[in-house]
Amino acid sequence: MAKSFKDKVREQFSRTAESYVRSPSFSQSADLAEAARMLQPTSDDILLDVACGGGHSALYFAPLVRSVVASDLAMQMLKKAQEFIAEEGGIENVTFREADAEDLPFPAGAFTLLVCRIAPHHFPDVPRALEEFHRVLRRGGRMVIIDTLLADEPHIAEFQHNYERLRDQTHIRAFTRAEWEQMITEAGFILHETKVQKKNHDFQEWAKRAGLTREGVQQLNKLFVEASDEIQDYFQVETFAGEVESFTDNKLLISASRPPKKTPQTSSK
Amino acid sequence: MTLSQNLLDILVCPQCKGALLYEQNNNRLLCKACRLAYPVRDDIPSLLIDEAEPLPEP
Repeated sequence: MAKSFKDKVREQFSRTAESYVRSPSFSQSADLAEAARMLQPTSDDILLDVACGGGHSALYFAPLVRSVVASDLAMQMLKKAQEFIAEEGGIENVTFREADAEDLPFPAGAFTLLVCRIAPHHFPDVPRALEEFHRVLRRGGRMVIIDTLLADEPHIAEFQHNYERLRDQTHIRAFTRAEWEQMITEAGFILHETKVQKKNHDFQEWAKRAGLTREGVQQLNKLFVEASDEIQDYFQVETFAGEVESFTDNKLLISASRPPKKTPQTSSK
Repeated sequence: MTLSQNLLDILVCPQCKGALLYEQNNNRLLCKACRLAYPVRDDIPSLLIDEAEPLPEP
């Protein structure tokens, strides 16, 4: 199942690469500024950007660190990200590798920093990816994961899952804050901080970015318009003449690190 | 820095995590342990296990 699913992810993001690179939503950097505050990058750091998508995190961090390796499952996405970063000019410390987050092609302890932004909801096996993140980070290395936060209330979470799946078949699932905290600690990281940021989406841009047809956008619109008042309030759904104009969801930022090397205990004997 | 050094810089086989060799004439990275060849396209190495080409037995 994993291979055919990953082929689907690669196909989906190869087809929509251009709109992700040009996405005003992904270029907004409030979450990246927060990630930088959490990571405290220095010019000695080597950063891995896992599932880099359009390359926005790589571009943001490149001037702040020694070098960036940007990896993604979709070659087309990497090529677009490479073009995008080249167009910005003056950035020469980013390299690109086509790689699977669950089977990273990097040696143990290769990176001092790691970011993974708005991507884990596409991973079939998040604990396995976290195991890989832990392996490739140096001891004491710091990591920030940013992803869509799943609501704690089951009926809101169900609505959220339905619209995400309707928009994008490669969406597997988002996680609640408690689920993330558990996965992070179970993977052996020290959890430092979690923070929720609201994100407002222009409905049309958001729906079309995933490559939806006109009918698909209409179906998605219907789902939002017919949702209960409680759900519409939760997602701050703004409509005009029966058309959804925007809505707001929550992004979770997780700051964690690989434990530093233990100092040898002095023997009591 | 040569192309091959640049490519091999912090890169291992995604399957066995062992060292890779750069094969210049075919522009690909080889894992001798797994007998797999990973292609390089437009200077971007593709390190996907499922997409790698099996190498003939020695």
